[in-house]
Amino acid sequence: MISPRTLRNLRKELRSSALAKIGIVLVLAMILVAAFAPFIALHNPTNQDLDENTLPPMGFSRTTEETTSEMVNGSLQLTNETVYVNATASHPLGTNSLGQDVYSRAVYGARTSMMVGVLGTVLAAILGVSVGLVAGFYRGRIDDALMRFADVSLAFPSLVLAIALIGLWGRAAVDVPDPFVVFGLVDPVRSALGLPTGMPDSFVLPGTVIVVVGLVNWVWFARIARGEALSIREEEYVKAARALGASDARIIGRHVLPNATTPILVLATIQVAAIILLESSLSFLGFSGTTLSWGFDISQGRGYLSTAWWIATIPGIAIVLAVIGVNLVGDWLRDALDPGIEGEGGV
Amino acid sequence: MSDEILKVRDLTTRFFTEEGQVNAVEHVDFDVRDGEVFGIVGESGSGKSVTALSLIDLVETPGRIVEGEVWYRDADLAEEHRDSHPDAVDGDYVDVRQLPEATRRWLRGPAFATIFQDPMSSLNPSITVGEQIAEAVEVQRRARANPRRTRSRTQGYGLGRLLVDSVLPSQGYVSDESQERAVELLERVGIPDPEQRADEYPHEFSGGMLQRAMVAQALAGEPDVLIADEPTTALDVTIQAQILNLLTELQEEEDMSVVLITHNLGVIARMCQRVGVMYAGEVVERGSLEDVFENPVHPYTEGLLGSIPDVEDPAPRLSPIEGNVPSLLDAEMGDECYFADRCPKAMESCLTDIEEHEAPAATDDTDHLVRCILADREYDESEALGSAAKQEVISDD
Amino acid sequence: MSYGRFLLKRGLQGIVVVWGVVTIVFMLRFITPGNAVDAVAPLDASPELRERIAEELGLDQPLYVQYLDYLWELLNGDMGYSYISGIEASSMVFSKLPATVELAVASSIIAIGLSIPLGVISATRRHEPADYAATTFSLVGISTPNFWLGIMLILLLSVQFGIFPTSGRAFGFVQAFRITANQGLGAGADAFYQWLRFITLPAVTLGTYFTALITRLTRSGMLEELGQSYVRATRAKGLPESLVRYKHALRNTLIPVITVLGLQLGTLIGGAVITESVFSWPGLGTTLINAINARDWPILQATLVVIGTGFVIVNLVVDAIYAYLDPQVVAE
Repeated sequence: MISPRTLRNLRKELRSSALAKIGIVLVLAMILVAAFAPFIALHNPTNQDLDENTLPPMGFSRTTEETTSEMVNGSLQLTNETVYVNATASHPLGTNSLGQDVYSRAVYGARTSMMVGVLGTVLAAILGVSVGLVAGFYRGRIDDALMRFADVSLAFPSLVLAIALIGLWGRAAVDVPDPFVVFGLVDPVRSALGLPTGMPDSFVLPGTVIVVVGLVNWVWFARIARGEALSIREEEYVKAARALGASDARIIGRHVLPNATTPILVLATIQVAAIILLESSLSFLGFSGTTLSWGFDISQGRGYLSTAWWIATIPGIAIVLAVIGVNLVGDWLRDALDPGIEGEGGV
Repeated sequence: MSDEILKVRDLTTRFFTEEGQVNAVEHVDFDVRDGEVFGIVGESGSGKSVTALSLIDLVETPGRIVEGEVWYRDADLAEEHRDSHPDAVDGDYVDVRQLPEATRRWLRGPAFATIFQDPMSSLNPSITVGEQIAEAVEVQRRARANPRRTRSRTQGYGLGRLLVDSVLPSQGYVSDESQERAVELLERVGIPDPEQRADEYPHEFSGGMLQRAMVAQALAGEPDVLIADEPTTALDVTIQAQILNLLTELQEEEDMSVVLITHNLGVIARMCQRVGVMYAGEVVERGSLEDVFENPVHPYTEGLLGSIPDVEDPAPRLSPIEGNVPSLLDAEMGDECYFADRCPKAMESCLTDIEEHEAPAATDDTDHLVRCILADREYDESEALGSAAKQEVISDD
Repeated sequence: MSYGRFLLKRGLQGIVVVWGVVTIVFMLRFITPGNAVDAVAPLDASPELRERIAEELGLDQPLYVQYLDYLWELLNGDMGYSYISGIEASSMVFSKLPATVELAVASSIIAIGLSIPLGVISATRRHEPADYAATTFSLVGISTPNFWLGIMLILLLSVQFGIFPTSGRAFGFVQAFRITANQGLGAGADAFYQWLRFITLPAVTLGTYFTALITRLTRSGMLEELGQSYVRATRAKGLPESLVRYKHALRNTLIPVITVLGLQLGTLIGGAVITESVFSWPGLGTTLINAINARDWPILQATLVVIGTGFVIVNLVVDAIYAYLDPQVVAE
């Protein structure tokens, strides 16, 4: 568990490392944005406004060829004219081809990334840690079988397996009510701030994606937990506890698990980063249950690279910042706690 | 011609850490004579190992040799640098510290060879023992074949050559000749089946055998000075004796000088002709073994030796001195004698200024030097401070 | 244990893993909701037609018979025929394999070629500008989704400056080689130029994450090795710094780096799938996505089996290199 010494190390490392501070700021910012999305977004991210489609971000303008027809001396004259489309203050980061606000979609995208990243990691950790602890603690056949199974699952890249499973199982999603909207907290605040009201009252949680990213990433946790269990079961105090008649469950719960907390925590942080990347890849490829996702927006922007670079660029910057933040926090934890784990587990 | 191979003057090495400046080695002076074993003894943390690393210029960051001279006797080298580095040459001696870095590096091997405390961690685990010894032979062979290139930055072995060697292992750095010499060296240090052992990896060796291999590696450069930093500390008692015998034997046969660094008084008594006692980064007493062991002047030396100043007794008891080695953090070091708060003979003047206190001991031998107020006067019990008084004065600083 | 026996043992373990891979691929169909016949049969198929389809696919047999049939056919190199195009699955997958392998190899070469020098420079010039540049690059590199990086490269280098084509693949390396042999050096040089133009952006896209990852690993590993006492001892015996750093420290740094690379191989293949999708690179990734969207079972199974087996084989090679570099591995 978290001892005073651990806390001291964390503080010391945080003081001396500017990168750790940046990481914490980025992660906190992302959590706040995700949590308070209805207050922070400028528009309903799903509202389409075709009159305001493909608006550039502030400071940029877009040119488009407009053809006007005119009757000149009895014949139809077509003239091509270059028209400048300018940014508007109500869409500071521009709009996409459907006229949806790029900024507001990026804000709501943080929710999807955070939810999938955290819930997927929790699921992977629960699965992996249970399997790993049992395998490491009992060793023998169970261990062999579980570890061979882990080897086999490692042979499938997470992304490949995730695509296959989601493709076959479907893209189920759960509508989670947005508490801020449901309790009527959002509209008054937004009206007071002069922002358009009518934010979405529910939030689409891509259920299959969460289950699948958990299923394809459990192995990393299993390996760590098994290693810890293997070493801790040989400790004298564990042998003593066993000699005193403590049950296996009690030994695992009281001795093995607490000792494995640090490496699991560090791994979990790294995994959140990996799963955010994995989720964005899945939604980019269209294997997701929601359209409010950074990866999905990037795939939408792909077709407009020559005319509207911002549609694909801005959500990508959001992903990079989020993942850098989580990775920096992971580095901070690893440097401060030094659990000696390798293997970062990417997409 | 003088008979000192090495004259160390005013050597000062400090570490500049986040916690502050650490004065690991402070104004250390000593000489090493031809064919002798010079011992450096002290508790751990007294700066003996840093002294060894300073001699061979291998202090790593955040440490730095701040000042000092290391005069090494080499007539050829002196001649060579007389015009280019006049300050670095004095008669037959060169001040190693003032030579160009490439030359300093080149001196490792033929001038100074080093044996470290833990043989297991001092050898690369993934290269055969034979090859590692052969590397030490090879570097000298190449130096003789092409002295100029050897003193260039890459010592005639740049990245390009290394890449070629990696792709074509048969063209590796080490020549067959050196490989054969490595086997000879292994045999020389008493390793059975040297041919076969040369192809084994460090993890296949026992601790004692590994330390023998380290000795073989040190012999590869035919050094003038062998620096042995706690060579037996990591070994079993029976093995320790074997390694010490080996060192004695080799030292006589090869006519080397040895700087032996240890915390073990028994080893010092058995091996050394002269000895320096280190405490808190300073040499507090030095002289011939008889002078220091039979007529110790510094209370620390006396404390170390306990009640048995008998050189003939191979196992003097180490009667522990009360208290701990003082912090070497510059900020926490005052003007007082660093040993004062542990010293049973401390007096008022010990707590004010120690700079003037190094002096020849009041014995017959002028070579017996002591850094203590008692060097030139007799101890008078009435002047001693009680421990309470000591605490008070020190905490007033 | 000798090196040969070590390899043999690892080889046998590899075969067990491949068997596991094959079995999981077989099981996929049974953990998938919906009747397998539905996937093939037309929506308005009569019960008779559905029965015939089931019979033809062997779906009316008991599970173990289906499994054994499947294994037996796999051993004979028969992975069925595409439900959509009727093309033999094995020939389809193997015709797509070279494009993916080419992409993976090209990006690995970029990654290894850049990252190890970067990591070494970073470690040996710690706290200098070069180190800050390398650590910043590697942090951003491991945090950037490669599909977005690919799109940004297209945006900048293809759309804005027109240096590289936006997508596709002119022909394979082997084909370019053949053109050289058949049509002379002039045509060959042009063929290789085209090959290079098309593969550059995908290879850079796929390679960036690995370049960043290996740079990080090399830097931290090298820093650790340079702090070991054997490095000091090696310097003390007078070896030139280039030997100390590269022959001694770097070699030992690469040993754990290689292990992690073996574990990260899946990331490379997963990355290839998405990179192929960004650049319309006609490899296994595109095949896999198309097969899933079309529920083309034989193609899907064949692709997964080839990917899984490929992973196992490359891991064997990695293990062999690892054991060659670190003699202690074989001893244990």
